[in-house]
Amino acid sequence: MHWLFSLPVSALAIIPIQAERPLRVTTDGAEYCQTLVLRLAASPNATAELPRFLGEEGRHLCANGRYRAGIAKLRRALRAATAEQRGG
Amino acid sequence: MSDAPRLPGLRPTPPRLLQSAGFRFALLFIAIYSVAASFLVAVLWWATAGALDRQTIASIRTDASTLVERFRESGTPGLVEAIEERLALDAQNETIYLLVAADGRRLAGNLRDWPTAIGEDGTWFRTRIQHDGGVAEARVHRRDLPGLRLLVGRDESERVQLRLLLTEGVAWSLGAVLIFAGLGAALIRRALQARMRPAVATALGIAGGDLSHRVPLSGQGDEFDRLGATMNDMLDRIASLMAGLRGVSDAIAHDLRTPIARARAKLEESLNTAAGEAELRAAMEEGIADLDNISRVFQALLRIAEAEAGARRAAFAPLDLPEVLRDAAEFYEAMAEAHEQRLETDLPEHLAHVVGDRDLLLQAVANLLDNAIKFTPPGGVIRLEARDTGARIEVAVSDSGPGLPPQDRAQALDRFYRADSSRHLPGSGLGLSLVRAVAQLHGGEAVLLDAMPGADPPGLRVVISLAKL
Amino acid sequence: MMRILLVEDDVEVARFVKKGLQEAGHTVEHASNGRDGLFLAASESFDMLVLDRMLPGGVDGVRLVETLRQQGNRSPVLFLSALSAVDERVKGLKAGGDDYLVKPFAFAELLARVEALGRRPSSEAPVTKLKVADLELDLLSRTVTRSGRKIDVQPREFRLLEHLMRHAGQVVTRTMLLEKVWDYHFDPQTNVIDVHVSRLRQKLDKGFDKPLIHTVRNAGYMIRAEG
Repeated sequence: MHWLFSLPVSALAIIPIQAERPLRVTTDGAEYCQTLVLRLAASPNATAELPRFLGEEGRHLCANGRYRAGIAKLRRALRAATAEQRGG
Repeated sequence: MSDAPRLPGLRPTPPRLLQSAGFRFALLFIAIYSVAASFLVAVLWWATAGALDRQTIASIRTDASTLVERFRESGTPGLVEAIEERLALDAQNETIYLLVAADGRRLAGNLRDWPTAIGEDGTWFRTRIQHDGGVAEARVHRRDLPGLRLLVGRDESERVQLRLLLTEGVAWSLGAVLIFAGLGAALIRRALQARMRPAVATALGIAGGDLSHRVPLSGQGDEFDRLGATMNDMLDRIASLMAGLRGVSDAIAHDLRTPIARARAKLEESLNTAAGEAELRAAMEEGIADLDNISRVFQALLRIAEAEAGARRAAFAPLDLPEVLRDAAEFYEAMAEAHEQRLETDLPEHLAHVVGDRDLLLQAVANLLDNAIKFTPPGGVIRLEARDTGARIEVAVSDSGPGLPPQDRAQALDRFYRADSSRHLPGSGLGLSLVRAVAQLHGGEAVLLDAMPGADPPGLRVVISLAKL
Repeated sequence: MMRILLVEDDVEVARFVKKGLQEAGHTVEHASNGRDGLFLAASESFDMLVLDRMLPGGVDGVRLVETLRQQGNRSPVLFLSALSAVDERVKGLKAGGDDYLVKPFAFAELLARVEALGRRPSSEAPVTKLKVADLELDLLSRTVTRSGRKIDVQPREFRLLEHLMRHAGQVVTRTMLLEKVWDYHFDPQTNVIDVHVSRLRQKLDKGFDKPLIHTVRNAGYMIRAEG
């Protein structure tokens, strides 16, 4: 039934959706977890409390296979490190 | 309302659903409501998703410009680093980048492959992306750099969410619309039927032969009351026509039988007692004269009935009233002279044109002049006048005869009235009755007055008013 | 003498009319329905037709006249009718009838109308002068003279005299005068016509010993030279 009601709504979209196969995103796996962990480690302020805490948590989540959440945590750790850097 | 006669086979069956006007009104109601709801949804979509879109586009555009700037400043490595950094800091997990070399080699970004079949530099497009959580939609912008191709995009999951939300809202509200419209339809249908029922009941009563039914009015003054009032007017008119018809048959029955009986008696008597041929011949001549008189009364009755029924309105034509009246005056002047009376006229050269029946008007005026000449003693004066009173045209005939006491005037306009004092004069007694019928046919009336109030004798003045064009 | 076709379904009225017309010296053929009447009228030649307005047999008087007129038959037609409404008269005349007489009627009225219709001048050449004995009426100068002496008449009297003179030697009834001279189609119930005629008569006969306008008892008036 949903498609029926969404007809008038999707008709309002101006740009057509590409009908091809969905594009695969690479930033959602263990591989990218590793990339981020390395990046965090290379960050000058990685040892500050917040980035370190978030980094630990992210790593832990990634290790448990919860890549999405882990990646989010790692990114926030990197963000915190960057902010620390700018603030300091 | 429940006093409609329950005639078998005439009971009003409720209309089948699609034939019901109430249902059709309801359908219309649903359609209008649906259009309004769709419009509302469209506006809502425009305001929310549109704003979201604009925001996304602006953000992508800025991002892409910054990246291009970065490339100009520090070349490919700088650009790659910038992309990697942006991805690393993207806590919301909504950015999409892809940087490939001219040979298709992937340099940076989070898309695995360059999408096939996309446009030139500067193209905007929307695509689906797959990550471990599932499939989402994204908006992507392409920028080409020397030896490089860059895609900058944003995940539009929020937009999809919004669409789902709106879709759900539309589904609910449409459902509600349908339910309310259906309810409204049923209510309208019931209300319509309830309001129509008195009219239908009345019509059925009439069809059943009882003309006394009238549509009860609700007093709301709405369309149904107007319909009912119109129906009642129509019924009143029909009833008055029927009464007129009955009046004619009554008049024929009562007032033609009398002269017929008289003529018959006279003929029979002379047949039994006539002494000779001469006497018989005389009786027969008298009989023929009586018959002619009867047919004259009959003719007058028919004319009155025609005028009263308004049947002659088809013969209406614009006419020059002063001319018609001058003719009539000239016609009767000779007779007034023979009676040693004076016939004076006061007629304007022109009058606003009257639409009417020349023959009937002429006959009415002739009847009045004839009466006036009959009742005015020698030496008297008869006046024929016409004037425009603004709203009406008035034609008046006055005489210096004995007049008519006020209490007899209303009666005088009725059929077969003859003042006791005039029994000895010839005439059918239908003259004034025709005058009244003709005046009414022309949207006016006939009024009897004293010609010279206070004088003795007061004389009679008959005024016919006619509606103007 | 005229050859007259009478189409009338009422046997009694038909017999009465036929007998009367024959006594007045005319030949009368009678048909009792519209179809027979149409057949007779189309196959034989008549000087005039007297038709009932309502006839049995699918062809009523109006239809009959319309058909005849379409075929080019120009014989004068007099309608007899029980329908007295003015519209009915107009309908009858529009269909091609020349005169319309409402039942019941006096035979004298019918005869006068039949003779007036049947003896209409056949030539359409305009007449400019009418003459009866020593009375002359000039239609161009609109003057009346008797034995060369001018007589003053009012316009309506002129028309009255003209009508009488056009039918000199024939009876003209009061109703005919009312219809033709005044265009009045109702019964004024009094003897107004008599008053007008006697006024005209006084003007014409004053100073002459031979009266010209004669009263025909139970019928109407006739203008003719005495003897």
